[in-house]
Amino acid sequence: MHELSMAEAIVETVLDVAKKNDAQEIVEVTIEVGELTMLNPEQVRFLLGVLVEDTLLEDAEIIIEEVPVEIKCRNCEFTGLANTDGSDHYLAIVLCPKCDERNVEILKGRECNVKTIKIEKSDEDA
Amino acid sequence: MHKIAEVEVQHDIMVANRKLARKNQKMLDNNQVYAVDVVGAIGSGKTTLIEALIDAMDHSIGVIAGDVISKYDAGRFEKHEVPVVGLNTGKECHLDAHLVEHAFHDLPLGDIDLLFIENVGNLICPVDFELGSHMRMVVISVTEGDDTVEKHPLIFQDADLVVINKVDLADAVGADSDKMVSDVKEINPDVQVIKTSLKTEKGFDEVMEAIEIFINQD
Repeated sequence: MHELSMAEAIVETVLDVAKKNDAQEIVEVTIEVGELTMLNPEQVRFLLGVLVEDTLLEDAEIIIEEVPVEIKCRNCEFTGLANTDGSDHYLAIVLCPKCDERNVEILKGRECNVKTIKIEKSDEDA
Repeated sequence: MHKIAEVEVQHDIMVANRKLARKNQKMLDNNQVYAVDVVGAIGSGKTTLIEALIDAMDHSIGVIAGDVISKYDAGRFEKHEVPVVGLNTGKECHLDAHLVEHAFHDLPLGDIDLLFIENVGNLICPVDFELGSHMRMVVISVTEGDDTVEKHPLIFQDADLVVINKVDLADAVGADSDKMVSDVKEINPDVQVIKTSLKTEKGFDEVMEAIEIFINQD
């Protein structure tokens, strides 16, 4: 379970950026989590809720966007959104949608990216 | 008066680890050390396999022993008179590039040419964390059940070599080791899968040869 350490890293990143931008409060945080990243977004959300207590993040809305898998196929050179294997498995096996090959390079889908934050700052600072 | 401002952050926590991993690999290359990341299930035989490789391979070997509490495995490796660094991960379920970088400072990298990095027993979390090693060997055993592979596909997709251990116990635990091999091949068609029993030494020479081939390809 590394959701806790990832949530800690997210909070640290956000608070650092907020401080550098003289934020008085953080209103919203958008995080991108790749479909192939071994993180359960709901667990990340729960842990963030615990970690933000008594910080500038306490009342922020946390938006988690799932990033679909993009690949480059080593067989047919297809580049774009991947097919998953159609099973109900949470951890998808990645397939090329064009030739069904599994030998693919993963271009997107392994992120845990703090994308943007919305902060409140006083007019004098703005 | 207050104003709301949107700040572009774009800080990927995964990328930070990957960058460190590349730095680690550079440090290994500068010291002409080939590193094998050994991942696998708890109790699958990772430590025993590395111990046997230390004794059998003609290399100057070093070991990083990662575990929730690493002193037990580290103590086993020390008996083979090789340099060992134990890495306690505590609450964490995996090694990361940052921890491994710390271990490099305590290892005589100039005196070794092959480094085994034993990861925490876990088939899920290590997938996300490259360490800077040159190859990844996944070790599982029949006693975990023959559905282990299909339940943890991603770790096999990234594997360079897969060892299915304790095949001498397959009948006793009702596991079909051939199914496990075909499940791996389904996920990663080109990877070499070796069935072993470290008790009877079945398949051990093959594992050693496979690692040598990777070292020589590098």
